[in-house]
Parts: sequence; structure tokens; C-alpha cells
Amino acid sequence: MTNSHDSMIRERVQQIETMPAIPAVFLPLLKLLGNSDEVDVDEVARLVSYDGSIAAQCLRMAGSPLFGLAQPPKSIKAAVISLGLRRVETILLTCCLGQALPAGKWLLDPSVFWRHSLGCALVCQKLSEKLGASDHEKAYTAGLLHDIGFIVSCVAFPKDFGRALEDACNDGIPLHEAEFATMGFTHCETGFALSQKWTLASDLSDVIAHHHAVEQSANTPPLVALVHLGDLLCRMRDLGYGYYERQKVDLVCDPAWEILLREYHDLRDVDLVRFTFELDDAVEEIHALVASVFGTAPSISRN
Amino acid sequence: MTTASQLSPARPAAKGSAPVDPLYRQIRDLVYKVSGIYKAEEKLYLLADGCTRRMNLLQARSLRDYWDRLTAAPYRDVEMRELLNEITIGETCLFRSQPQLDALRKVILPELLAERTRQITKRLRIWSAGCSTGEEPYTLAMNMLEENEKLLKGWTVEILATDLNDRSVETAKAGIYGGYALRSTIDYFKRKYFSAVDDKKLEVRPEVKKLITFSRLNLQDDSKMLFMKGMDLIFCCNVLIYFDATSKSKVINHFFSNLNFGGYFFLGTSESLMNLNDKFHLVHFPGAISYWKPSLSSGKL
Repeated sequence: MTNSHDSMIRERVQQIETMPAIPAVFLPLLKLLGNSDEVDVDEVARLVSYDGSIAAQCLRMAGSPLFGLAQPPKSIKAAVISLGLRRVETILLTCCLGQALPAGKWLLDPSVFWRHSLGCALVCQKLSEKLGASDHEKAYTAGLLHDIGFIVSCVAFPKDFGRALEDACNDGIPLHEAEFATMGFTHCETGFALSQKWTLASDLSDVIAHHHAVEQSANTPPLVALVHLGDLLCRMRDLGYGYYERQKVDLVCDPAWEILLREYHDLRDVDLVRFTFELDDAVEEIHALVASVFGTAPSISRN
Repeated sequence: MTTASQLSPARPAAKGSAPVDPLYRQIRDLVYKVSGIYKAEEKLYLLADGCTRRMNLLQARSLRDYWDRLTAAPYRDVEMRELLNEITIGETCLFRSQPQLDALRKVILPELLAERTRQITKRLRIWSAGCSTGEEPYTLAMNMLEENEKLLKGWTVEILATDLNDRSVETAKAGIYGGYALRSTIDYFKRKYFSAVDDKKLEVRPEVKKLITFSRLNLQDDSKMLFMKGMDLIFCCNVLIYFDATSKSKVINHFFSNLNFGGYFFLGTSESLMNLNDKFHLVHFPGAISYWKPSLSSGKL
């Protein structure tokens, strides 16, 4: 990316006064997640009470097998008691993201975007647990927000991004490659500019900026590497962007694998095939959850 | 007499939220450890059905009782084999795994052909090892014929299909299939590559059969395996699950040396090599997993 691209992206992102569809509770929640030691349950419940649809969706999600409860809890407070504060915060954040792209108005199918983000969040959390990392909720949040640049690209560069999306679908190439070929920059740069505007935690900004170029991450390579692998795995297991990517993925030979291996020796013992099969179990649940939130499950176009 | 089905434990529903007896997950883990076959949560009911059939035959009093038979000497190996038979039965059909076929046509073929473009003999060799009654090699042959005028123009495709069982090989050669084996075959392929035998059965057309050589082969026969060189693709679905770890490892090593550099080895869709060979690279395609023998130019050998 050139300097002129960089300044143009900053300028366009600054011009976006508010992300039109992002629920008002989204940014305060992100801030709360960054300072979880000081948060109390009442504060979260108060924040959520401003948006009834988010609260209702959160309770429905908490009752999904993906999040561990057999039945939806009756209130946000009850959810916190059963699942813990941080889990409920991440579920809330997931609901907010689900509402960021209303149907019919955006280039990306919102259910496809949300399905990929939720899938990546869950894969990152599971992988983080397998590796014995210290903060699984952070891994979840990083997976959830890694592609947030797509929202910016849809708003600020609709024509060019639309062409990139079409090329990616027609040629079966990764979306970020099509973006770069069309625009000279990708959702990583637009997402990074947004993360700066929102003053997101630096590790999350790093993930958003470098999840397709892990070796360029100077600050938090293991978290970026984790999200990079989670993203790839999702795209290979029916949680991608709704088109067939004509590519072969060798996770163990990916530079991200080496970075993770240096940090977590347990990675050597992970049975990657079994992990993939277990992910397939979650894929069913994710599709069901997306269908319940958006009405219908998105179909995969095969080219 | 009280039968196992009367005392049946909480059976996982095909789609539902009824709590599952945790022993089924324990059995699922044991099956994976012994055979490399993984029954996903949504297919746990198939494992449960297999267990119930075995429990009825054995007159096992409970799932716990059946678990003991699966884990206690001296009959555990025999019982595990019987259970594996139960849970893999009926999996054979034409066009069983569309994601594998997509990977083959959309990613692997273009890659293999590009790599071998400078070869004098433009020949592609595919081996269906443990082909049973022929569904897999015919599926592969039809997909290769679809590429005949496109990607494979100017190339010769040879498909070798082998099985241990003589009767299976004879059935395979006949190439006659009924509704169950054809349940995943779309009308386009039925019309193009089959002719009607009667109102219930279809026979594979001669131009498809011509691509395949059927023969009997024991995968554990080392001397024969040494002669199976020069393969570009090997498919071996739900065969190795019956082998013990030592034999499995030996057969997989044979497969590795039988493959050309840059070739691919496919197992069944829910089957794993379980790290029995560290020379193969595990690779993902959309919806499919394969094992790759790196090409000389890849720098990954």
C-alpha cells in the first residue's frame, strides 16, 4: 500500500461520522472488554437495556449449544450468573456485529459476514483453549472483529469493493487478493484505520491490520497468527465468504504455524484432522444460529 | 427377555436437542482412536444405531455393558470390527463426496497438469484402493470424462481399481447399480453415462468402463504393493479402519512411495491418518482434506 492510499483511507474513514448500522452499545462494550477488571454486571445490563433487540438476541444466543447453556437465560443478569461476565460481553459484541450490516443495503451478504466472523471467533477460542493460552475471550474477540474492515470498505469504497468481490467470486481467489488487485489496498488497511478511530486495544488493531500478513505484525504475533489460522480454517470448512476458493491450504507450513509453535509447544500435539472434524460439528450449529437470526441460512455459490 | 432396545440409553437425535448419553461420545472417541473414523455430533445417531444393533445381537443389558465388551479382552478387537462394519455400512454410493470431487477438478487437476506440462507422456494415473463394488472408480472416471475436452485435452487417464474381495471386483466390473447406490447421482450424469437395465437398475456405459482396470489386490501384500508405482492420485476410503496400527502404517508408507511427487492421497470424508505418517502434508481444500506428497519444486520435501 502506498502513502497516498494510506492518507485517502484515513480521510474516508474520518468522514464516516458514525457507522450507520452499528448499535450504540457496540463501542462502550468494546471499551468495557478492554478494562474488564473494573466492570460490574449492573453496568453491562444497563448498557444493554438501551437496545431491546440486542438484549433479546443475546439471550437467544446464550441458549445456543455453541455457548453452553441448554436453554436461553431469562435476563442478562441470569446469563452473567450462568456464563460469566466476559462470556456475556463477547456474546453481546457478537450480536452487535450481526446488526452492523442490514440486509439488502450492502455488497456483502450480512449473514455471510456474520457467519464468518462468528465462526472465526469460535475457532480462535477453541484453538486458544487447546494451546493453553491465557485469554480465550481475547482470542474470541480478535476472531470476531478481524474482518471489520469489510464494513468500512462497503461504506467508503462501494464501487471498487463491489468489483473486487465480483472478481473474487468469478476467479475463486481469496477476497483480500482481489481487493489488492483492484484497489491497491485491502480490508486490513481500512479496518486498521477504523480501529484507530475507535481507539481499539493495540492487540486487536494489530490483528485487524495483519491477519493476512502475519510476519508484519510487530506487537502481538501469536494472537495475529491464531486469527490467521482460524480464518483460513473457517474458509476451508464452509464458513467462508460464500464462494468456492480454488486453493490448497497447508496450515502446518504456514508461517503463522511456526509463530504459534514458538509460543505454544502444545500445538505439536494438536490433532489437526480431529480439530477440523470438531469444527464441522460447530459449523452445523453456526448455520442454525445464523438462520435463526437472519431468517434463512445463506447458500454457498459454487463456481 | 428384556432387549437392549427396550433399555435403550438416551439416543442422539438426527437433529434435536435431547441430551445424549455421554457414553456415546466415549465410544465415538474410542472408535476414532482405534480406526481414525470420526462421527460428527450430527451423525452421532448413526453410531448410536450401530451400537443398538450390536447390543440387540449380543443381548447386552445396557450401553455400559456394551462399552465393557468394546474395551475388555479377549473380544474387544472382534467387537470393534463388528461395530465398524455397522457404522460404515451403506456409506458406499456413487458421488459420495462432492467436496472431494470439487477439490479434484477445481484445484488439484489444474495444479498437477501445470506441473507436468513439460512431460512427454501426458498420462494421469489414479488408483482406487479398496474399491469395493466399483462406485468410487466409476465416479472418478465420469468426472475425468467431464474434463476430457477441457483440462484433460490431450491427456490419457488410467484408473486402477483394486479390492481384496473377488466377488466385489466382479460386481464392480458389471457396473450395474440400483437406486440406493445412485442416490447422490444427478440426472445429468445418469443420462450421460448410464443405460437402463430395467426400470430399477442402470448400467455404466462402455466408454466409462474403458477407463478402468479392475483387479484383486491385498493391500498387505508387500511384494504386490511394490509394483504399484507411478500414481498421481490414490483414493482409499474406509479401508484402513480395519487394520491395526502396524499394518496401517506399513500400507500408508507403501501409498507414499507409490505416489508420484506432487500426488495426493484421499481417505474417507470422516477418516484420519492420525499422524501415522509424517512425510505426507495434510492439506485442506474447501470442504475436503487430503494428504499431499510435496512436489520436487515445492521446497517442502
